[in-house]
Amino acid sequence: MMDQMEKSGDGIRIQKMGMSQKRRIGGVCKTVLLFILACIWLIPILWLLVTAFSAYPGMSRTRFFPEKWTLDNFNRLFFHPDSILQYGRWFFNTLVIALFTCIVSSIFVLMVSYSLSCMRFPGRQGIIRFSMILGMFPGALSMIAVYFIMKSIGLTNSHIGMVVVYSAGSGLGYLIVKGFMDTVPASMREAAKIEGANEFKIFTRVMLPLCRPIIVYTVISTFLGPWSDFMFARLMLNSGLSKDWTVAIGLYNMLDKSLIGQNFSAFCAGGLVISIPIAILFAIMQKYYVEGVTSGSTKG
Amino acid sequence: MATEKPKQKKSFAQTAFARYFIDFGEAIAKGDWAVKASLGVMGMGFFKRKQIAKGVLVTLVQLAYLLCFILFSIPNLAKFSTLGTVQYQDPKINPLTFEVEQFPYDNSFLILIYGIASLFLLFVFLLFYVHNVKQAYAVMCDAQNGKHVNSFKEDLQQMLGKKFHVTLLSIPTVGVVLMNILPLLVLIAIAFTNYDKNHMPPGTLFTWVGFENFTDLFGGKLSLTFGYAFKKVLAWTLTWAFLATFTCFIGGILLALLINSEGVKLPKMWRTLFVIAIAVPQFVTLILVRNFFADQGIFNQICQNLGILDLCKGLGLVNKNATFIPFLTDKNWTKVMIILINIWVGIPYQMLIATGVLMNAPKDQLESARIDGANKWKIFWKIIIPYILVVQGPALITDFVRNINNFNVIYLLTQDVYITQDAGLYKSNAKEVDLLVTWLFRLTQEEQNYKMASVIGIIVFVISVVFTLISYSRLMKGGREEDYQI
Amino acid sequence: MRKRALALLMTCVLSMTALAGCGGNTDGSSQAEVQSSAGTESSSGGEIQKLDEKTAASAIDNLVANTKDTVQLTVWASEMDQDFTQTLLDQFKAKYPSVKFDFQLGIQSEAGAKDAVMADPTAAADVYAFADDQLIELINVKGLTEVSTAYTYDVASENSASSIAAATYNGKVYAYPMTGDNGYFMYYNSSIFSAEDMVSFDKMVEVAKQKGVTIGYQKGGWYLHGFFDAEGTGHYADLQSDGSTTCNWNDQVGVDIANAIIQYAKDGVLVMADDSTAAEAFKAGTMGAVVSGTWAAQNFSDALGSNYAACIMPKFKAGGKEYQMTAYLGFKLIGVNPNSAYLPWAMLLAEYLTCEESQIARFQARQLGPSNVKAASSDAVLKDVAIAAISAQGAHGTLQRVGGNYWASSESLSDILISGNPDGQDVQKLLDDAVSGITAK
Repeated sequence: MMDQMEKSGDGIRIQKMGMSQKRRIGGVCKTVLLFILACIWLIPILWLLVTAFSAYPGMSRTRFFPEKWTLDNFNRLFFHPDSILQYGRWFFNTLVIALFTCIVSSIFVLMVSYSLSCMRFPGRQGIIRFSMILGMFPGALSMIAVYFIMKSIGLTNSHIGMVVVYSAGSGLGYLIVKGFMDTVPASMREAAKIEGANEFKIFTRVMLPLCRPIIVYTVISTFLGPWSDFMFARLMLNSGLSKDWTVAIGLYNMLDKSLIGQNFSAFCAGGLVISIPIAILFAIMQKYYVEGVTSGSTKG
Repeated sequence: MATEKPKQKKSFAQTAFARYFIDFGEAIAKGDWAVKASLGVMGMGFFKRKQIAKGVLVTLVQLAYLLCFILFSIPNLAKFSTLGTVQYQDPKINPLTFEVEQFPYDNSFLILIYGIASLFLLFVFLLFYVHNVKQAYAVMCDAQNGKHVNSFKEDLQQMLGKKFHVTLLSIPTVGVVLMNILPLLVLIAIAFTNYDKNHMPPGTLFTWVGFENFTDLFGGKLSLTFGYAFKKVLAWTLTWAFLATFTCFIGGILLALLINSEGVKLPKMWRTLFVIAIAVPQFVTLILVRNFFADQGIFNQICQNLGILDLCKGLGLVNKNATFIPFLTDKNWTKVMIILINIWVGIPYQMLIATGVLMNAPKDQLESARIDGANKWKIFWKIIIPYILVVQGPALITDFVRNINNFNVIYLLTQDVYITQDAGLYKSNAKEVDLLVTWLFRLTQEEQNYKMASVIGIIVFVISVVFTLISYSRLMKGGREEDYQI
Repeated sequence: MRKRALALLMTCVLSMTALAGCGGNTDGSSQAEVQSSAGTESSSGGEIQKLDEKTAASAIDNLVANTKDTVQLTVWASEMDQDFTQTLLDQFKAKYPSVKFDFQLGIQSEAGAKDAVMADPTAAADVYAFADDQLIELINVKGLTEVSTAYTYDVASENSASSIAAATYNGKVYAYPMTGDNGYFMYYNSSIFSAEDMVSFDKMVEVAKQKGVTIGYQKGGWYLHGFFDAEGTGHYADLQSDGSTTCNWNDQVGVDIANAIIQYAKDGVLVMADDSTAAEAFKAGTMGAVVSGTWAAQNFSDALGSNYAACIMPKFKAGGKEYQMTAYLGFKLIGVNPNSAYLPWAMLLAEYLTCEESQIARFQARQLGPSNVKAASSDAVLKDVAIAAISAQGAHGTLQRVGGNYWASSESLSDILISGNPDGQDVQKLLDDAVSGITAK
């Protein structure tokens, strides 16, 4: 994919003829600038990385790099859970919630996008406009009402409830996928229709295969939402039982004032571990991600 | 979306609205006895045309709704006007036998939620009811005109064919109703009640108060503090949203250009380095950064060792006796830091997007500009920026609204750390660095002041909607996008 | 002076010398004197009927016989108390072998209990620990069951009178006292300060200047109270029945005190510190003393080694007069949620979590000072440096009864004063602002 970007870079490369030396100096300056910027961006991450291997449990204000290196923090996270720190459980809970949310949300988004992009029916305009306005409502506010609605159907403190909370409203997030589907020529659908396919077949056999990049994008973003959500989880999982928590609540709780002295390096280790799946997803799917975001936003 | 013209909407909606009732009247007036009977038993119209399965289904839905109406809606709607009258009483325990006696009581909040849910169900049922009569009439017309009347099997097949959108949309719609529409209605309703710390179900009841909360905010008895805090928080919210959106936007483009520019080797590696920073979830990075910049944190120690603290003292940026730089505890420092940290968080995303957008940059225009001898800056400002603005315009507006509601960055950076020194603000539980959303969140979590939080929530909602609608219509009017249509 | 009365009583109950004489039953007259600093309602200890052993046993037998299904109870304890509470829960189960229990132990700090319960009392734990200053608000949201009967031990007389007063509202007791060590005092490095130095803040500042060390003070209104409501200042910050607070810090004495604090800060001696920075500074030898409570004992003891010492809050001079600093004293209480489906068992469990044996075991496991007078007089408890200091501080302490508006305003004030009034604001105006914030309705 990067090759593609290289080529595209040419499009905007501002070329001047001759003066290769000047250009070389410019290149060095740019590289130096990039280097400085990259340092700024990576210092906190580096701090996270090295502190995760620190033998001192608290936060040191005098040393950036730890005095003693150790793997104990990871050992503690995964092999010595106590009633407070049950990282393995949290990781498992988060993974299950995120996976199911990802499946349900992706399906919802694709369903809504297809019907709004490829089908024409009365009320379609109204739905588009109404959903746009509905999406403006601040989630932080509706959270409390959501909590009580979920409670009245008995789904608080349950991971099923979390999946419902994360995925139920996901149909509203169809804009980018719809934008992508809009760019697929209608003639392809027409051809299928002439061959006698119904809409269901067109959706599953024609449209979905064409939408692979945007599906990948949808899958990543619907997975990452619950994977790193903090506020909803804190509100919905309020029984105080550590075994029910997600990684986000667990890690936040580890930095409670009374615990930060013993847990800071373990927090860093935990933060590092939770980042690994995201990093892998990003690395594999960066191409789709960029394609998905840009095609959706350019053609939406 | 770009092709849809907003201008004709209104008249269209008006006619559609009127047509809805006219059609209904026509169906009743011109329908035969079966259509009229479907006003009572909803399946009748279909039974007459031998659509037995459909008729049974529709009648079952009707029965289910009636049952639900009697068992669920009536008891709740009966109390809806008062939101309950029976006060909670502590359970009594007999000290000698441990027998516990519980007393029934009304829970205003549940009455409110169930009442609204009942009204909503009623509305949906009425829509369904009217639609059913019209359908019965349509089937009648088809039968009379000798057209084919669908069998149940054919109806089902249609759900995967012509009416596939109904199949596709129904379940997501139920979800949206549950997670978005109902909460929205509940919160709008709460803004008209006195639901706060002193009126907390189940212990105490709350009730309707009309527009009291709104008048309190805009000039009533609380205006001294709430109105004051509201103005300040609103101003900062808009400033923040503007700065956060544009710094990240411009920064992302510049970084993308820099990485892709001539003379920079290994652009893939550089890009990956920046992306690493966003691979760590926000709640980790933000809490981490908050500790990094803490008054007693490591960065302050570094500043002290490098003499930056003394430099700041010399410049008058911190006071002379300070032993630390108040990165996240002084109001001005904190505002600047929040924006900077947000740049740190946001630029890698924007850089990725900008890279993608620049792929599709109009090469012919760039080429001709180059031939005309335009310099770099001219090309940047006259071609690249307008191009990106048009392409990214809608996304920019979404970002702006998202930043108005950017809960994570503000809350995770300042909660438990930043303390306001402004009496007018802390009396209404606000801080200088609060956005409207974080303010309303803390109002509910720390003060249980749900009524004011709802009022603020409605205002945030209105601001977001108005802003979006205006800028969308502006963008659509511009018509410049055709120049770049790919 | 109410505070004096309380202080006297606390001396009586908490300080180790007086314990033998005064412990156990406190007679009615002195109980009537125990007043929280709350202005309107009297908070003297309420009545709890203690059933005699036979009646209690038959009541419990009756309960056991009538309990057919599994008793499901959720218990909230703080992060640090998890393991210990779990052992108590297991012991409680063993006491009633014929009953099936399903205990869920959740994590909730005592300080955050109020927010968690108020968010949704029906979803909160059946039995939970909380700090006594949250009592009234928890009662207002119906988050606490009244304690009218004691079964397994005499709750009212076995706990210190002040702890019962802390659990009492309008003459009724609403919770079971669990610990009596929440409060603050001075930790110091005995190689820098002598015990005599620690009597006066001004003396401490003098010595600290000589030796080039700092004195740490924590931010926030809880600690600021130590200066402003010092004995002899005539100051108060009192909770009213409508949830607001009355306060008179903005008089001339207040200005003197504020100026004194600013001066300590400007001298570069008084610095803001929290427990972890203080521990690091103690270790590095750059800090001589810090205000903190028993929760930090282990940290500081590790940091200071053989120089680890603690004592009560010192006196300080302001406007030419010397005042004895005070401290907020707090108790951790166990409350029972009236929404519990197994209310009787919840109450019995709460009794078990707070009985004498549990309190001694809690001290041994967690170094938390007991509220139970018998437990407090055990040798092990008396040997502990920090617990001894907090006991002595009992002679100069106040029950914390302030409304919600107290905290933000006083925290702002503490920020400005301890950082030496960096912007040079008018002190009188600072205090007026703070008082108007504290007393806001």
